[in-house]
Amino acid sequence: MQTIIENLQKHFQVVSYHQQRENLGFLIASKEVAVGLITHLRDYEGFAHLVLLTAVDWIEDEHFQLTYLLHHPEKKVDLGVRVMISRENAEMYSIHHLWEQARTYQRELREMFGINFPGSPDVDKPFILEGWEEIPPYRRDFDTKEYSEKTYFPRPGRETHDPAEYMKKKLYPNE
Amino acid sequence: MTKLNDILSPFTAWKHVVREPVTIKDPLNREAADRYRGFHKNDISECIGCGTCESICQNAAIDLVPVDGVETKDGDSGLRPRVDYGRCCWCGLCVDVCTTNSLSLSNEYTWVDEDPDNFRFVPGAENKSWDNREKGYKKPGNGYELYSPVRESMEELEPEQRDQSFIEIVQGYSKEQAEKEADRCVECGICVATCPAHMGIPEYIKAIRNDDLNEGLRVLYDTNPLPEICGRICTHKCETVCSVGHHGDPLSIRWLKRYIADQNPAEEYKKILNTETLQPTGKKVAIIGSGPSGLSAAHYLALMGYQCTIYEKLPAAGGMMRFGIPEYRLPYDQLDKDINYILSLGVEIKYNMTIGKDITLEELNKQYDAVFSGTGLHMGRSTRVPGTDHPEVYQAVDLLRDIVLGNEVPVKEKIVVIGGGNVAMDITRSLARLQKQKFGKVDMLTTSLESEDIMPADREEVIEAREENAVIDPGWGPVEIETEGDKVKGLHVVKCLSVFDENRRFAPKFDEEQKKFFPADMVVESIGQGMDLSYLSEEFKEQLKMDPRGRILVNDDFQTSVDWLFAGGDMIQGPDVIHGIANGHKAAMGIDKYLSDK
Repeated sequence: MQTIIENLQKHFQVVSYHQQRENLGFLIASKEVAVGLITHLRDYEGFAHLVLLTAVDWIEDEHFQLTYLLHHPEKKVDLGVRVMISRENAEMYSIHHLWEQARTYQRELREMFGINFPGSPDVDKPFILEGWEEIPPYRRDFDTKEYSEKTYFPRPGRETHDPAEYMKKKLYPNE
Repeated sequence: MTKLNDILSPFTAWKHVVREPVTIKDPLNREAADRYRGFHKNDISECIGCGTCESICQNAAIDLVPVDGVETKDGDSGLRPRVDYGRCCWCGLCVDVCTTNSLSLSNEYTWVDEDPDNFRFVPGAENKSWDNREKGYKKPGNGYELYSPVRESMEELEPEQRDQSFIEIVQGYSKEQAEKEADRCVECGICVATCPAHMGIPEYIKAIRNDDLNEGLRVLYDTNPLPEICGRICTHKCETVCSVGHHGDPLSIRWLKRYIADQNPAEEYKKILNTETLQPTGKKVAIIGSGPSGLSAAHYLALMGYQCTIYEKLPAAGGMMRFGIPEYRLPYDQLDKDINYILSLGVEIKYNMTIGKDITLEELNKQYDAVFSGTGLHMGRSTRVPGTDHPEVYQAVDLLRDIVLGNEVPVKEKIVVIGGGNVAMDITRSLARLQKQKFGKVDMLTTSLESEDIMPADREEVIEAREENAVIDPGWGPVEIETEGDKVKGLHVVKCLSVFDENRRFAPKFDEEQKKFFPADMVVESIGQGMDLSYLSEEFKEQLKMDPRGRILVNDDFQTSVDWLFAGGDMIQGPDVIHGIANGHKAAMGIDKYLSDK
């Protein structure tokens, strides 16, 4: 793995590298170099398989973290490429030309996080949330509880008690 | 044009009818994976009904409901979670956050029933077939907690830095530490019932998290006008029931309170608490004693517009908080910060005024609309074993008072203290400091009837006393103080086997065979205090109803049988500061009710 990274650093700017375990490592690359770097990994280093593409909402830092997890079938190692993109007008270059299945991941990220991948086929088509009108639900500022309270009315017969209030009623009602 | 194949292919599909199916015949009998997240289990004897599972559930699938046979008591709301499986998405967050680790998920996921209401039940209280299943999802172990089980550590002076002086030991939290500690609170509110003043604990901790310390101060003053003091020396019963303490350190509630009070500057209190102008009622209340109950009553009465005058026997205010608690636990400037704010509301204190001598209770009744008495417990009790009348045998409260007043305090090279409460620790540690100053070494021995595990003193007091080189040797009953002329030789003790009988009554049992002798040239008794009601005239005492144990009888408003006299503080409840604060507050509301009806 170390030689791959050293090799990579000759061609690309790698912000940081972290070896999680023997057969798994993560590097951070800038948005601008990421697609070139991933292409290089696929075509020259042998990371032939895109395992997954996912995102994390770092709302406090005002960015999304994209993770492209790549697998090397011969060396049996995985390499995660992390890319930080701004939360505002979140957009990333598509990689559907590298792996056909990336379009599905990108369509999902578009729906769940609101990250756009211009040029990715069907990226604007609803994925699983038909008729969704809220902010994308995997964004951390989406209030799941508020949504479920608004959307799913409570079944009759339900009641709850606040522990502190209930204890006051039971133990010291006159104070 | 229709191709032949299009016509024939539906028929060729028929050949699959006789094929072995690839699906499993009866999936209902297949057990799920070992860590599958199925229906809930709850050990309701472990569960305390803190409701954290309900708060975290993003689908609002959990309600907290009373359950037959589960009692509401200190540390247990008596409620238990009921899960609505029409909403549960089996995410397991309720298990991850459960403070008592009582909640888990079994790996049972199939259950057929025609009545949809059956899919809403209280796990653990309603028997289900999966209740005894071992497999399923449990709270993951170390490193996966949703809140830290470890308390933010508090900076304290090292024993060698503190054992010669009365400088405050505990340094207080920084902003970063306080916010980190506050972050551990799950906001369940189980602690509120246990606090004698029922302080809004989750609310003020939340204010720290939001870095809104003005709001924090307002929450504190709703129920407690002495936060600098309580933030340091409260007996913090709240922490004993903290839900986070079931698997980890309880929240450091007392230090967080201190943090809020410390961070708000005294000169801004009136603005923050919106007490710059108060509407006077024109009525006057006299208060006897400036201890916690008297100050608390004065504070809340002043807010309601009453003109309060406190009559204090000693030359400074604070009662036991100043004259009982040593400065290294409660520095005078912090004590004065709380007291001066109360005085700034228009409360007046007349110092060096002894009721019955300088002014009588009857005179107070004539001059004021009501009287509150919180004269506390200031008379040290004696063990009354032979030798206690010797001049080298002292009472802890008298010595503690003399230290504060600056009077000369007798300090001998070898001192024995009798007592196992906080006052005993206070005198032990104070005398240890004075010994160190005078002789350069500490030779203190403190013994109590109670064995180590049931000593009434706060645990940290015992630990810190030992760090300061005092010897604590609990579990001995005093028999005699040996004296020779004007000198004390030491204390004879026998092993104490138990202190209370099965009815929790005081009935110590001894093993007379196991004896010990603690040599000493000075003995201090610290086994408790009684009240001094000598300020009441004999005629007045006859009007006042007492309970069989000789305590003044009061109603829920802390009103005595003489309608214009209210009483609170250690005389009535406790003894500790927070009970005094609570009953002073209640008495203030009682006085307001009495004077409004009048």
